[in-house]
Amino acid sequence: MPLDARTDTIRGGATNDPSHDELRRLEAGLDSLQAVPETPRGAFRRTLDGVLPPILLLIALVAAWQVYILIVKPRPDLTPGPLDVFDSLVSAWSSDRLQLAVSTSLERGGLGFLIAIAIGTPIGLLIAECRPVRRALGPLLSGLQVLPSVAWVPAAIMWFGLTDATVYFVILMGAVPSIANGLVSGVDQIPPQLRRVGTVLGASHLQMATLVVLPAALPGYFSGLKQGWAFAWRSLMAAEIITMGGTIGFGLGSMLHQSRELADLSGVLATILVILFVGILVELVIFAPIERRLLRRRGLMAAGLR
Amino acid sequence: MTSLTSVSVAPAPTALEPVAITIDGLGKRYGTGPLVLDDINLSIEAGQFVCLLGASGCGKSTLLNIIAGLEKPTEGAVTVASGKAAVMFQDAALFPWLTAGRNVELALKLRGVPRKDRRADSLELLDLVNLADAADKRPHELSGGMRQRVALARSLAQDRKVLLMDEPFAALDAITRDLLHEELERVWRQTGRTIVFVTHNVREAARLGQRILLMSSRPGRIVNEWTITDTGSRRIESPEVARLGDEITDQLREEIRRNAA
Repeated sequence: MPLDARTDTIRGGATNDPSHDELRRLEAGLDSLQAVPETPRGAFRRTLDGVLPPILLLIALVAAWQVYILIVKPRPDLTPGPLDVFDSLVSAWSSDRLQLAVSTSLERGGLGFLIAIAIGTPIGLLIAECRPVRRALGPLLSGLQVLPSVAWVPAAIMWFGLTDATVYFVILMGAVPSIANGLVSGVDQIPPQLRRVGTVLGASHLQMATLVVLPAALPGYFSGLKQGWAFAWRSLMAAEIITMGGTIGFGLGSMLHQSRELADLSGVLATILVILFVGILVELVIFAPIERRLLRRRGLMAAGLR
Repeated sequence: MTSLTSVSVAPAPTALEPVAITIDGLGKRYGTGPLVLDDINLSIEAGQFVCLLGASGCGKSTLLNIIAGLEKPTEGAVTVASGKAAVMFQDAALFPWLTAGRNVELALKLRGVPRKDRRADSLELLDLVNLADAADKRPHELSGGMRQRVALARSLAQDRKVLLMDEPFAALDAITRDLLHEELERVWRQTGRTIVFVTHNVREAARLGQRILLMSSRPGRIVNEWTITDTGSRRIESPEVARLGDEITDQLREEIRRNAA
């Protein structure tokens, strides 16, 4: 079919008749009546709304903790106060142990997570789109997701010894099933109508996958990625606590383990807070903005969350 | 345009125009279930606006899907002379991650239009449905009627001579639907497409169609047809449309009553 055929037929009609102008004005009026006015709030206001409540809660919790210490006066080695924990943090910082532990753990977690994405994505796509593979591999993958990845630590130590390979192996066993499952559920939730449109528009198999299925599955895939990161981070901490020595570097889990061996409860609590804080920070700085953008562009965000 | 000469009911004239769609002895059943479509024979002229009318579940959407190539007939054959057909559904089914303009551009891309022409072509198509200003809006920012117009622009972007529409305005409010009838009729006259329009709304069929086919249910058969000789525009409120609508409704009810026993 010649490409300019359509242009000819479209331009062929006369557009200067008065009833057409009238229709256009009618339509424009109806469009503006039916359009949903958006009232965007400023970036500053949005940040304030998001950041202020958790900070206020944090201050309240710490204050309650301090009041408890002042009134009850428990044994300081069993119940350290906020100030003791803060001192532990400062001393870990000034001896550079904190920076080393955070950077080591983040590097491992980040790298392991990226490898998990590279492995989990094709597996997920294969399971989602290929029925025999789904029948065979689907239950196994769901099982793996339930299995705590720490359970792999003993086996990994025997296979890889006390090396970073052990840590990465445990991260992958934790994160890959989540990422693959996220993609599968993302693909499953695609409205069948969108695929039909793809077929009607004449998309090939490859075009269907890249132009329709993958973008349509993105919200589900993204929540799989978020969960994958959570599993990677948890698995990493568990692996670092259990595996010490050898060529394994000093991470946050190792720091936790070390403080426990020194019976330094405020050090243990300080490390737990750092692990928690890193998790929150990654969620707030990396995942939340991407997710908000993704959902808002598709109109999937509830009005209250904008 | 508004002055209507006559709406007359006449038997289908012998085809003088080239035939766009031929359906020959078509039957459809799902698995071992009952017959959904039974012995459908139909020949649709190029450039004709055909309304396929029937109660819910009479198989009219199935027939449309078979013409579209989305489903296979159990027996018989369908020939679309110009190759494949463009399809528009009740749900606009725009891709929610793309703007209105990009949705149209995607159809152009899948048709093989070179990248440099796509933007201008999509704007031209959106302008045809009076939505050039909304090109950068996302589907969720558009009203239902606007979404359907983007879907119409997208199906026109496919540049196929036959346009199949499956109850495209059924989910819209009456005011919007009325306007879209005008819009669709204008686009049809301007582009010369062959349109097969599935609906369960008798007035809608009487308002739009040049030829109206009434289908029975279980199994779906074409039981009657009306040809409207007048080609000018007519309003849904006009007495001619009402008269034709009454006549068709009577027949439709009779067909439905037959299923009571």
